[in-house]
Amino acid sequence: MLERLIDSALSQKQRFSFIIVVDDKSPLQLNYQSDKVQYLQMKKNSGPAAARNVGIKYALENDCDYYLFTDHDCILDKEWNKEMTSFLARTEFGAVGGMTYVWGNTLLDYYHGINGTLAGKWLLPEKKELWYMPSLNFGMKRHVTEEFPFDERFPTAAGEDVDVCLRLRSKYKIGFCPRAKLWHDFGYKNTINDFSRFVRLFMKYKSSSATVYEGHTVLMWDSSVSIYEGNMYESNL
Amino acid sequence: MSLIYRRRAYQPKYTQVISDYLGEIVPFAKRVDKLYLVIPMVFLKTIEWSIYRWYETPIRRFYGIKGNELIYMITKRCNARCPKCGIWKQPESNDQHLHVSHFINCLKRLHYNLYQVTLTGGEPLLYKMDVMRIAEEARKLNVPMVIVSNGTFLDKQFLERYNELGHILVISVDSVEKDKWNEFRGRKDFDIVMPKIILARHVLGDKLRIQSVYAKETASEIPKVIEFCRKHGIKHNIQLHQDFHGDWHDPDGATMVDNDTPCAARKNICIYPNGDVVKCFDHRKIPLAEEPLGNIAKQDIIEILCSKRSTEISKIMKTCNLRCKNMSCNKSQNLLFK
Repeated sequence: MLERLIDSALSQKQRFSFIIVVDDKSPLQLNYQSDKVQYLQMKKNSGPAAARNVGIKYALENDCDYYLFTDHDCILDKEWNKEMTSFLARTEFGAVGGMTYVWGNTLLDYYHGINGTLAGKWLLPEKKELWYMPSLNFGMKRHVTEEFPFDERFPTAAGEDVDVCLRLRSKYKIGFCPRAKLWHDFGYKNTINDFSRFVRLFMKYKSSSATVYEGHTVLMWDSSVSIYEGNMYESNL
Repeated sequence: MSLIYRRRAYQPKYTQVISDYLGEIVPFAKRVDKLYLVIPMVFLKTIEWSIYRWYETPIRRFYGIKGNELIYMITKRCNARCPKCGIWKQPESNDQHLHVSHFINCLKRLHYNLYQVTLTGGEPLLYKMDVMRIAEEARKLNVPMVIVSNGTFLDKQFLERYNELGHILVISVDSVEKDKWNEFRGRKDFDIVMPKIILARHVLGDKLRIQSVYAKETASEIPKVIEFCRKHGIKHNIQLHQDFHGDWHDPDGATMVDNDTPCAARKNICIYPNGDVVKCFDHRKIPLAEEPLGNIAKQDIIEILCSKRSTEISKIMKTCNLRCKNMSCNKSQNLLFK
């Protein structure tokens, strides 16, 4: 999956200044080498928040203006970098989320697609900014990134992106760029066989949301609505 | 402490569970564009909903996000007799008054999550010593504090120390004309309080704010208050008249500011003079919230806030479209005073 992501990152119409892959002490070996990609290795498995902060530190040291995040199981549209960075450049939003589509064809994938499981959430009622954007399709301006790093106390890939969005929204807004597209591969092969994975995924999210709930005390979950194809373009934008 | 709940008194009714379920499922089902997929998709959504509602998860506790306001009605007692307000008509007895140490414990427990602690009343400065203890503690804990006062008991010593602590003082002023002032306060204290407002401006600088209630009775007075504030460089805020069990009336043509915004008062943690905890001082308008969530003299505040009923009330508050949504709790702090 990672090779597929790197291929899509290298074939962007607007090239990235840096592509940073952070290996969070994965047991899997990456058989892919490219001098256009910077590989950073964590000393121990520390979770995605810590890994992303390592990548951020490297990019800050190299004076980048915009910081885009994605996951190994994603495939980027060729215009993704151009759309994300130009959105950040031309708007006052401190951060941006793009449109996430599902890659697979099972019923479970279809569900995630219309459920917007890994898409962002509109902030209600106006839908002019995002309540939250998962970090698989997320970007921040330099000063926002400096001010709001990921909270490394989140040990797994769940909740750390909600937390960072809630914190940064105390000061900045998160915009939505529907033309910045990527596809996320949940890895389902078959609806029946992968049903237990589907259940476990939401159990993990529930666990992380309970943590975020206690951290923020007040749930703002319900003042938002997930984005899917049917509501990605808002007439009042 | 966790989000694992037991069945207890005040548990939400099954009708509320059904309402919550339908609130999730119905909008989702409308997204399904193929008719034959509606049932399997609703089935999957039901599983997701059930996990979020019933799955008992061990949670990792940590804090650090300042998203809440702690509002302490330190007393219902008041020296003024404002007709706009009826709180002063029901003062708490001495044995109903919470010892300040309980509130300070509560503040210490919550301070990682607080962007502000607000003291209101009654007249908070009737308990000036307690107020200063809380102000000192809030400073140590790095929590900004706001006092909403009628200004009668301000003095130079208090103001100077308060200024050193860096907190904000809000004084309620509904008229700057002597006769109207005295009528609105129910006390002839214009000549006492006005010089204290000027003193407060001198000592506190822009940490002094003035707030006015926009009612039928004050409609012609508010522009004069705004002019007064402009002249003295004081930030000012107008709050639409609310029912505080007083005798004032809504201004002509007053309407709800925003009918669709979920009520942001869910972020609030409100404490009564006796230590009772509610999510909002208008809680009696919500049946499930009628009784307090707990009492900080008897229970830990985190335990109270993590109760199932507290969560359910937060959910209900997102759609309770009451007039109190026009109050300052629903506005961003940096937009309040201009």
